[in-house]
Amino acid sequence: MLGRSAYLLAYNATLSAGWAYVLYLTLSTIANGGSLMDVWQAVELPLEIVQTAAVAEVIHAALGVVRSPVLVTSMQVASRLWILWGIVHLVPEAVTARQVAAVSIPGTGGAAIGLSLATLTSVWALSEVLRYGHFAAKEAGIQSKALLWLRYTGFIVLYPLGVSSELAMVYLASGPIRKQRLLSLSLPNRLNVAFDYYVVCWIIVLAYVPDQITGFQIDPTSVLNIGTPVRAEA
Amino acid sequence: MSFKIAVSARDGRTILPKGEKYITLADKDATVADLKRGIADSRPELYTARQRLTTVAEKGKKGTVLEDGKKLAEYGLTNGDTVVFKDLGPQIAYRAVFFWEYFGPLVVYSLFFFFPYLIPEEHGFAQKAALTFWVAHYAKRIAETFLVHSFGHATMPIRNLIKNCSYYWGFAAFIAYFINHPLYTPPSTLQTVLALAAAFTCTLSNLRCHLILADLRSPGRGGYSIPRGFLFDYITCANYTAEIWSWLFFSLATQSLPALVFTLAGAGQMAVWAAGKHQRLRKLFDGKEGREKYPKRYIMFPPLF
Repeated sequence: MLGRSAYLLAYNATLSAGWAYVLYLTLSTIANGGSLMDVWQAVELPLEIVQTAAVAEVIHAALGVVRSPVLVTSMQVASRLWILWGIVHLVPEAVTARQVAAVSIPGTGGAAIGLSLATLTSVWALSEVLRYGHFAAKEAGIQSKALLWLRYTGFIVLYPLGVSSELAMVYLASGPIRKQRLLSLSLPNRLNVAFDYYVVCWIIVLAYVPDQITGFQIDPTSVLNIGTPVRAEA
Repeated sequence: MSFKIAVSARDGRTILPKGEKYITLADKDATVADLKRGIADSRPELYTARQRLTTVAEKGKKGTVLEDGKKLAEYGLTNGDTVVFKDLGPQIAYRAVFFWEYFGPLVVYSLFFFFPYLIPEEHGFAQKAALTFWVAHYAKRIAETFLVHSFGHATMPIRNLIKNCSYYWGFAAFIAYFINHPLYTPPSTLQTVLALAAAFTCTLSNLRCHLILADLRSPGRGGYSIPRGFLFDYITCANYTAEIWSWLFFSLATQSLPALVFTLAGAGQMAVWAAGKHQRLRKLFDGKEGREKYPKRYIMFPPLF
């Protein structure tokens, strides 16, 4: 019991700190007038490490260390890993070339954010700092109302912004993926099979997005509570 | 003396029309099948194959499923007692499902052969050989469905038809598309000839296995028995072994990755079924109290499984 709690505290605290570092790198690069490519070069290694470490969450769910459903957790982690490795890491030049369509912020009289790699990494990082921070605090026995409020309220903004930034990345990457036939296999070949990664990307988007939107509307907590530690029966 | 049985859903409400509660049967020797016919007479849309009847569940337990051939009295049911009804949904005959799931691939594969991109092409030897095997294989399956197989259950839920057909028809299209593609790369003729000869041999072995299994179920040999003879002396589900090898050889003969994917998907499903059957046979023939002991055999795929 104690071992598990200590492990989860260490895991969540480490990842929270790791994501905080990614957030810091993103924001400081932007503040120093860096380009989107500069942001990518700054965050690449730590981002790839902390995001890939989320695979442990699927293992936690499968082993019953945490209370999350295995399938939902796997889908969440897989979609993040796909965006990171299968999109951004694959064509960093393309996804840092520009922003995509600005999203206007309600109640600010027209202020807008363009979706870009910077919104992606900051939104991912901020939501993960809050999520892992929340779980770490829980394991440490700290019940912070402020952290809880921040996490749940932040989620309402961060989640849609995160999903739309992810889609922006796929959109930016899709051009070179199609033109250069990246990760694709053409006929004729000795296996007698063809594979078109460009088509697969859109199939994933079409299968994944409606699921994300409806899932979010029906039960935000299904997404929010991934990683919730198992509590002993009261 | 007539014999009355109440039929209710799990929530306790009667399922019979006009608020009626009881099905009246001829006498206390009435069977479960008689009761089901009574229910179907009363509500024709609930034909007997759709019905599942159980005894009323005691607290914390499940009710016992009533088997058609048995008498109601064997379950301790007496005049005025209640049985619980469950609607299994629309049913379709096993044979019909088998026919459609095998007939589809015949048609789908042939369409891809005869109309690649709607422009008939010259076909290479491997492509013609592949079509021959494919058609022969599914024709064999259809013939077996009507002439060899007997089915433990007469029907299954109708949604299985859609599920099974999607699987077989979808894989047929996937495999046929790439094998009949104008840019298909054939292996050497020697590879095709040898591998396809092996594939046909395995298909015939599979047929022999099915005939042995059908013989076990022939009338007058009631109950379970241990399959024996031919490959069954070494493998519990030798029919699956032959089936898997025939598709492995087909994949090799055509050098087709989609065909290999189909082989592995099928093998995975068959492994689950085979493990279940092996367990059942081992439990049934445990060697105790005069029962036979199930011999030591591979489950499906020597020397691995």
